[in-house]
Amino acid sequence: MFGNRVEGLALTLPAAVFAAALFLLPVGILLSEAFRTPEGWSLGAYWDFFASPRNRTVFWRSLALAAEVAAASAVIGYAAAYAIVSLPPKSRGRVFGLVILPLMISPVARTYAWLVILGRTGFVNQALVGMGILDTPLRILFSETAVFIGLLQLFLPLMIISLVSAMENMPRDAIPAARVLGANWAQVFLRVILPLTREGLVIGGTLVFTGSLTAYITPAILGGSKVLMLETLLYQRVAVANDFVSASVIAMILIVMSFSANLLLKRMASARRARA
Amino acid sequence: MNGRLATWAVLGLVLLFLIGPFFIIIAASLSAGNSLAFPPQGLSLKWVIKVFEIESFRASFGMSMFLAIFGTLAALALGVPAAYGLNRYKVPGAEFVRTVVSAPIIVPGIIVGLALLRYLVIPTGVGIGPALFLAHTALILPYAVRVVSASLENLRTDIEEAAVLLGCTRFGAFRRVVLPNIRGGVLAAFILGFVTSFNQVPVSLFLSGPGVRTLPVDMIAYMEINYDPSVAALSALLAFMSVAIVFAAEKFLGFSKYV
Repeated sequence: MFGNRVEGLALTLPAAVFAAALFLLPVGILLSEAFRTPEGWSLGAYWDFFASPRNRTVFWRSLALAAEVAAASAVIGYAAAYAIVSLPPKSRGRVFGLVILPLMISPVARTYAWLVILGRTGFVNQALVGMGILDTPLRILFSETAVFIGLLQLFLPLMIISLVSAMENMPRDAIPAARVLGANWAQVFLRVILPLTREGLVIGGTLVFTGSLTAYITPAILGGSKVLMLETLLYQRVAVANDFVSASVIAMILIVMSFSANLLLKRMASARRARA
Repeated sequence: MNGRLATWAVLGLVLLFLIGPFFIIIAASLSAGNSLAFPPQGLSLKWVIKVFEIESFRASFGMSMFLAIFGTLAALALGVPAAYGLNRYKVPGAEFVRTVVSAPIIVPGIIVGLALLRYLVIPTGVGIGPALFLAHTALILPYAVRVVSASLENLRTDIEEAAVLLGCTRFGAFRRVVLPNIRGGVLAAFILGFVTSFNQVPVSLFLSGPGVRTLPVDMIAYMEINYDPSVAALSALLAFMSVAIVFAAEKFLGFSKYV
């Protein structure tokens, strides 16, 4: 509404310069590090990175775990979101609040809880041994299962939030109508619910996938050095071996992933605005 | 009737998975035994008390509080004018500015911490403390701009135009008309920034040194060496703190409509 360009610039420039100087510049230099060699620019560092079997394992494990967590949270998320939407308004608000609440709590505290539950003297093992089902405690910690459980608990709320808001926008009589017309529950889900909530699923799925892919705390605490993921590998390469070239390659992978996820979300948001 | 039973069964299981672990942490932190276990071996408050006696936790708690409060204030000092400029002025390259300002949300924190350590702290001799402060400010900036923008969009522009037409300066109109109206949004941005900064780990991983460590990083370091219930007690205390903040925010300002 105000035409004065100088004033507008004066208001926005400090924030932009701050973010550029402290963010874009250092991160840009870090990313360029993998391409710089004494003999000039090269892609060799990427070749070397993926030539190592350990790095490939970590790369695929991170992608697979993130995809598994996203898929599991979609399945649980649909059941939970459908249950939440079918509640009367008052208890719906309360339950929704309880689902969101964990998001505000320190992820270290949230992950630590699984140490207590899954550890050797933890809840699960004490119960199994106590009931005589097992003789010796199971080793659940420092396995992919433990990381999977931790990530699922961390990110499930994001999926539920996205699916609840998608379901709230669904025409209320769509499901009863399909039922009356003779569809069974599988058909209702595949042909009515899924197409109408596709957007929420993509948004939730992207948030959960990128969140899991770029997680540090959960794999660090529940996976340790046995189950490295991209960020814990990055930390280890720098802390143990001062290997900034690998760090730069991993940084590029993470940024490309989360940038494309962000782009996808933005496109979905603008498509929705165009339709509205 | 059957449908309602199924509904509550699903919700019960999901909530048990999401919230149940906190009750287990609370129980484990009340243990009288010396190692982490559930069910706890006897009841006592000794680990809760021990938390306050551990020197490094006291120091890192102070550090995290400082960063969360002043980092968020700094982010607001940059972010509120930026949000106002982007919403009310025709800024050349507005889209670019928006992208740059929100970039910190896209880049994983661990990379930012590493980049700042390597290209700011080491070459220029800036201390780790100031670098940590700048990193947290940059991290919160996108939230500040986004939340304040949302409440500016909901504010009619004609009242500030009226104020200017009636002889107020542009700044006066902002201070006396706009600011009181977006107070809720600014406060919500502060709370969101505070919680985000306080809970943030990856950015602070590389930016830590002797005597400079944030609380969550310190907790991870402590639990790598010790297997006693003090981290459980601390986790429980932190969870209570977050819950209290969220409840107060929801009660006094309807926090959820801003986020």
